[in-house]
Amino acid sequence: MCRISKATAETSAHPIYIILGSGGHTAEMCKINQALLQPNNPQTHNRPVRYIVANSDDTSKRQMRAALPATKDSDFISVPRSRSVGQSWPSSVFTTLWALLWSCWLIWRDRPQLVLCNGPGTCVPYCYAAYMWRLLGCLPAHSKIVFVESYCRVETLSLSGRLLLPLVDMFVVHWPALATRYAHKPNLRYFGRLL
Amino acid sequence: MHLNDVYVTVGTTKFDALINAMTSNQVLRALQDLKCQKLVLQHGNSTPVAEPEVRRIYEKYGIQVEQYQFRPNVEDIRAADVIIGHAGAGTCMDILNNGKAGLIVVNDELMDNHQLELARQLASENYLYYCRVHEVASKLGVLDFGALRPYEPATKNMQMFIEALKELMSQ
Repeated sequence: MCRISKATAETSAHPIYIILGSGGHTAEMCKINQALLQPNNPQTHNRPVRYIVANSDDTSKRQMRAALPATKDSDFISVPRSRSVGQSWPSSVFTTLWALLWSCWLIWRDRPQLVLCNGPGTCVPYCYAAYMWRLLGCLPAHSKIVFVESYCRVETLSLSGRLLLPLVDMFVVHWPALATRYAHKPNLRYFGRLL
Repeated sequence: MHLNDVYVTVGTTKFDALINAMTSNQVLRALQDLKCQKLVLQHGNSTPVAEPEVRRIYEKYGIQVEQYQFRPNVEDIRAADVIIGHAGAGTCMDILNNGKAGLIVVNDELMDNHQLELARQLASENYLYYCRVHEVASKLGVLDFGALRPYEPATKNMQMFIEALKELMSQ
């Protein structure tokens, strides 16, 4: 269905998409990024990174720039929030659909090599969009979706986690209780706590 | 062990039971025994302590109470000899990342609070202590904060994750 020109595929400009959420999630993601973007990681080091951040969330952006001083303003993509706290139900249906359309458009436009997220609700449409475009053959063949469950989740998965466990390539948990409970899931990995 | 500076934090929650417990006679007596001189209360959306009560505490126990709703808490954390707080992940991380003695107090009024799971896990690994509101006074008398394990960053685990991620991306 999608035609990716050979030239595009070979420049390997496909970015890494990192989905930021609110405070706690962002603090965790900062630590993961510091480890991921070290110069000795050839798969990730020279690859452009795009941070997806809700357009009302300046704090996450500031946090990430403080943790990784090399990030530029242009590395951030502002997107509509799917639901704000206290928003009414009917209007949140509309904003969620709007956020979903945005994620489909951005994933189609940038064809990320990796979608990496750690729990905020914002990440769900991006993972679904990446999964769908990959099924349709629009993403580079070995593009991957990776979800790191929140550090706070010890015994039960978050809602985002439950929605994404069936489709992501790697699903990481921090604590032994979850690792045991979902031991039958081949995509679930446990390395001990990461923070 | 001397706990000169005690920092109590409830984040953005309403946790009147903890603020009340911390200013109850039993807890104040326990704090006095531990040589507490300053009690900082970050009360968030809980009801603050009345001014006459603050004066009474100083006169009776020699403990100076300072309270506020919110403010950047870096200084309070650094100065604290012990942090007593609700089971929020932020509070747990503040305790661990700053190498502080910590006591997490469970808010019984919050049903199905998954953040409790984290506090319980960290307590089971001896990184901090964990109790209910009515136990604060007795726990302060017996807990050995010096016996807590220091929390080390999980660099090795993170490296294993990054290796697995690299391997996945090269498939």
